[in-house]
Amino acid sequence: MIKLSGIEKYFFAGTPNQVLALDNINLQIQRGDFLTVIGSNGAGKSTLLKAVAGVISVDAGSIKIDGLDVTAHPEYMRARDIGRIDQDPMASTAADLSIEENLAIAYLRGQKRGLARAVTSQRTGYFRDTLRNIGLGLEDRLKVPVGTLSGGQRQALALVMATIARPKLLLLDEHTAALDPKAARQVMEITERLVQQYKLTTLMITHNMEQALRFGNRLIMMHRGRVILDISAEEKGKLTVAALVDRFTSTSGTVFDDDRALLA
Amino acid sequence: MESVIINALQQGLIFAFMALGVLLTFRLLGFPDLTVEGTFPLGAAVTARAIVEGVEPLLAVLLGALAGGAAGAVTGIIHTRLKVNNILAGILTASAIYTVMLRTMGRPNTPLLAYDNVYGQILGWFKLAENNYNVILVLLVFAVATRLLLGWFLNTDLGLAVRATGSNERMISALGVNTDNAKLLALVIGNFLVGLSGAMACQAQGFADIGMGIGVLVAAIASVIAGETIFGGNRLGRLLTSVILGSIMYRGLLALGLRLGLPAEDFKMMTAILVLLVLCLPSLELRKRLGGVIPGLRKDKKTMHPALPARPGFASPTADQTCGATPSRREMEE
Repeated sequence: MIKLSGIEKYFFAGTPNQVLALDNINLQIQRGDFLTVIGSNGAGKSTLLKAVAGVISVDAGSIKIDGLDVTAHPEYMRARDIGRIDQDPMASTAADLSIEENLAIAYLRGQKRGLARAVTSQRTGYFRDTLRNIGLGLEDRLKVPVGTLSGGQRQALALVMATIARPKLLLLDEHTAALDPKAARQVMEITERLVQQYKLTTLMITHNMEQALRFGNRLIMMHRGRVILDISAEEKGKLTVAALVDRFTSTSGTVFDDDRALLA
Repeated sequence: MESVIINALQQGLIFAFMALGVLLTFRLLGFPDLTVEGTFPLGAAVTARAIVEGVEPLLAVLLGALAGGAAGAVTGIIHTRLKVNNILAGILTASAIYTVMLRTMGRPNTPLLAYDNVYGQILGWFKLAENNYNVILVLLVFAVATRLLLGWFLNTDLGLAVRATGSNERMISALGVNTDNAKLLALVIGNFLVGLSGAMACQAQGFADIGMGIGVLVAAIASVIAGETIFGGNRLGRLLTSVILGSIMYRGLLALGLRLGLPAEDFKMMTAILVLLVLCLPSLELRKRLGGVIPGLRKDKKTMHPALPARPGFASPTADQTCGATPSRREMEE
């Protein structure tokens, strides 16, 4: 279980431009939960994800993973439990290394790395099986540099890398936003399949309201650093995009300002 | 002509160690490590002092290389722990090394011709005469061994973490690697090789001098670029070998230039212009125009960076994070 208590994060603290990016966030994520996170621009969605991953430190509150307080741990120490994919297809894979080398690095997520050969035949056999599972034909291109793959292929590979060591929490930060519609659909299909297959606890930011309603078993909406809506699976099943926008307007008192979310 | 070939092989192999070290830091780690201008003469100075003190040559060479590694560690600690900009960290260390060298040798120059050298020592074990060919043989064995060791290391789990740190620091950090430690390790290994290069150089030329590091970095970069452009492929092992060949070729060109009567005092300028030209070629798109004429410059020849042609002088943007009170761009994005 992931437990966030009283998380606060300021940007430009102590200056006239001070912004409270995360305002007393309290969130409990049960094992196997698939949360989708939506919110207007600047709502603090990505900041929340980065705080959980340890990319940025928080100013108050605590983050616990299965009872272990990781608030003070830097990113690389939390990496054993947390897999993360960014919006940018360049960010989650190493372009200069081959597919099998990228997977070999991900295979040892959070473990001590020694002087054993990284790409062994035993490992490549496993990599091939895992890649076959996502059905893009990457299993036949293990020695190809990742830089030559398309954005969709790189995000799909990033998904395999993020899940190959079965993290306790998978963080997805609009991981299909930079892809063309076809690739985005493909990557979302793979995401859903892997999350179900490995029963991964997942937190997915999306700007696409329709996507937020279709995937996952819980939906939270953020606004100005707060969680303003927390919708359970049953309720979520009945919601439409229009109804969701209405609820946003009535709860936050402002008009939903993200065109992307409505038009997508 | 024979002397040109001997010179190219001897000098080329000696500087190949340095080129491999520079390849590791500049190219694979994306860390523009200026320490090496100091590390090279430091390796020579420490070796010279040890020899004068009566230490066996091979052990003295090892001490010189270790001193190089230590210098790399200093730069690494200044950059990763004290959060000083990577270029400045290297310059600070290189500058401090001058004092270390003067203190080590007690003077700016130590002649070593009166002492046994490492080549004679090793050749003596096999009852071989110390002549130019046999010296080259010793160097060749050292270079091949270094190439194999480095190739092995870079394909281990740890070596892969170092390469990934150079390729995508954000990713490898998210996969649980302490990138500070990865950088530190690469700097130690890279500077160890540069120190080794300096040690082998002072043994071959018979003296150590605090000025022998001037311009060696540009020469090493030239070797790396030349090697990768002409002999390189998209496999790591090929890249390592190509750098050794590049070093031999670069020294061969210098020797040839001397032979043809080009003035030696112009060499540093010519090297600098040559490196600049090679760095600019991709952006000038001369490759495309010359592609049909010079096969070695064909654009379709694959290098390790398909998108970013060999540019060891430029670090990847993520490799450079300095301290500052304001939040980084990444932090500010929502």
